[in-house]
Amino acid sequence: MFFKKDVLADVSEGMDIIVVTGTNGKTTTANMLESALTESGQKVLANKSGANLLSGVTAEFCCAAGGTGKPSGKIAVIECDEGALKQVVPLIKPKVIVVTNLFRDQLDRYGEVMHTLEQIKTGIEKVPDAVLCLNSGDSLVSSIALGVKNKVVYYGLDMPFGDQNPRVVSDAIHCVRCGAEYRYNFYTYAHLGDFYCPNCGYKRCRPEVAVTSIDQMDADGTDIQLVAGGEEYSARIGLPAIYNVYNAAAAVAAYYAFGSDVGQMIDTLSRIHSSFGRMETFKPGRQPVQMILVKNPAGCTQTIEFLTSLGKDYVLILGLNDRTADGHDISWIWDADYEKFAADPHVLKVYVTGDRAEDMQLRLKYAGLAEDKICLEKRTENLLETMKTSSAPVFVMPNYTSMLELRKLLSDATGAREFWEKQE
Amino acid sequence: MELKICHLYPEVLNLYGDRGNIICMRRRLEWRGIGCSVDLLRIGEKADFTQYDIFFIGGGQDFEQEVLLGDLRDGKDKSLIAAVEDGRTFLTICGGYQMMGHYYETHDGVKCEFLGAVDFCTVGADVRMIDNYCFKLGAESGGSTVVGFENHSGKTYLGAGVNPLGRVIKGNGNNGEDGTEGVRYKNVFGSYSHGPILPKNPQLCDVILESALVRKYGKAELEPLTDSFEVQAHDAVYKMITGA
Repeated sequence: MFFKKDVLADVSEGMDIIVVTGTNGKTTTANMLESALTESGQKVLANKSGANLLSGVTAEFCCAAGGTGKPSGKIAVIECDEGALKQVVPLIKPKVIVVTNLFRDQLDRYGEVMHTLEQIKTGIEKVPDAVLCLNSGDSLVSSIALGVKNKVVYYGLDMPFGDQNPRVVSDAIHCVRCGAEYRYNFYTYAHLGDFYCPNCGYKRCRPEVAVTSIDQMDADGTDIQLVAGGEEYSARIGLPAIYNVYNAAAAVAAYYAFGSDVGQMIDTLSRIHSSFGRMETFKPGRQPVQMILVKNPAGCTQTIEFLTSLGKDYVLILGLNDRTADGHDISWIWDADYEKFAADPHVLKVYVTGDRAEDMQLRLKYAGLAEDKICLEKRTENLLETMKTSSAPVFVMPNYTSMLELRKLLSDATGAREFWEKQE
Repeated sequence: MELKICHLYPEVLNLYGDRGNIICMRRRLEWRGIGCSVDLLRIGEKADFTQYDIFFIGGGQDFEQEVLLGDLRDGKDKSLIAAVEDGRTFLTICGGYQMMGHYYETHDGVKCEFLGAVDFCTVGADVRMIDNYCFKLGAESGGSTVVGFENHSGKTYLGAGVNPLGRVIKGNGNNGEDGTEGVRYKNVFGSYSHGPILPKNPQLCDVILESALVRKYGKAELEPLTDSFEVQAHDAVYKMITGA
């Protein structure tokens, strides 16, 4: 696609814009924000399809502008790729930028985590008036505040969660400022938690938007207590798993920084159910089929921990492709904790599918899963039959392009609407 | 029988699924009733290197590699060189492989001194060599074909008389120029193949384990295993790369 160079600046001029970036949770957080703003009666422009590079964002604004070339509305929520941020934000001048987290992701596209962090910083330096919402428990993300002029609202968990053992595999072991090893007062997940550097003193800032307790978490959602701007709220998030608690806190922080009513965002969170392949439920047969997108070790391990904590029988379908949108390098599967599936007696059967199904099959064998529990099935029509006739709930864990394929298979079979129609 | 593995710098050299190589060695020993222990040795930690049979060093991020070079120079360098000369087994991947050579010279001429345990050096280039690739192991390493994923901008050049681990069938290998991939010196196995390298290439894994067993016990007879998933995964990638 070719555009006049600054057309994006023209078609977004004068709009109040929230940008969401970071490795995991962009789509879910943006979806929460867009839903709350829409429910408050606003007309909201959003790039729902996940087209989050400069070209996709530009196309979204241009389509909305129509023939006039003028902005069509007042408000936009834009999910933006970490690498594209420095191109996008100087043109659209967002009021708020949310950074969700930084994990290793698709290494062969972006190089390393530190490189991604530098790219985000470069983007933010170009928009000093934007308010930053930063994950206080992510030592990489919160370091963005060092040396920029922007106003910052920190959000995060102000409490430990889950396994408190020191991390063997972590994306951020050493202080981003001085190189010494971090210590932790508590962990929440992966490298997130109450970190501090014993050498230079860099540490987690207490979050202004803080989750103070998690009261209940199951396959349908999570009940939390949250403090924002000094007010206490009880909230129900209509999505399970710890990373969605962080996504909810990020959305509340952005809403708060945007100057909107936090109570109304809390209200919306209970009605959030899923966004494009991230915990979407289908009913092709008697049992529910839930799809959970996984694309990097941190998100994958979180999903595995969630499923193995359910305590009920289930069937798994793991989809692994290695196309350009997925990253050609699939070695990250060896960093995710599939060993937990081997230890869970509730795993009845695991189907592996996709371009690299053989690699996933091998990973499961070395994770300790019995070979007769593993079934390689590349024909999607057979997978659909399995989902229709399963006697236990099915969880599908695909990476990106595998998710597109399996989602189409399921939506064709169940008559579910396409994702861009879903929220109307 | 038992093999003791030392996983060096797991907290910094753990990119690209390196953990899979450790999982693979451990399982393939366990399945044959051979004991296996793995010690993690982090920056600042000391250990007697003569107690270990296999050393594993993986790849890492640039920013973190600076942190560990200081630690190497704090005495570990001499112990590691002695272990190499003593015939102990090393599996070194990407950054860990480069570290066994003399130095890394960046594209703009900054020279980073490494261990110099094996006669080779690496020079930074501006093009990243990145993709699935495959190579054929030298006869001394079993001669089988290896599939993996390479992702490096450094070009490695072996010294005269130093054997590569194998010859490139498709891809770049050490430098994209001379057809060599990796290094084999005594029982040092170096490769650019992460992915990780061992699970899909079980014959190479067994050659590595045997080298350690022979040094320790004088002989090694590894029972054959049912490698059907391993062969399936190897062949699928081999076919994708070569079209054959």
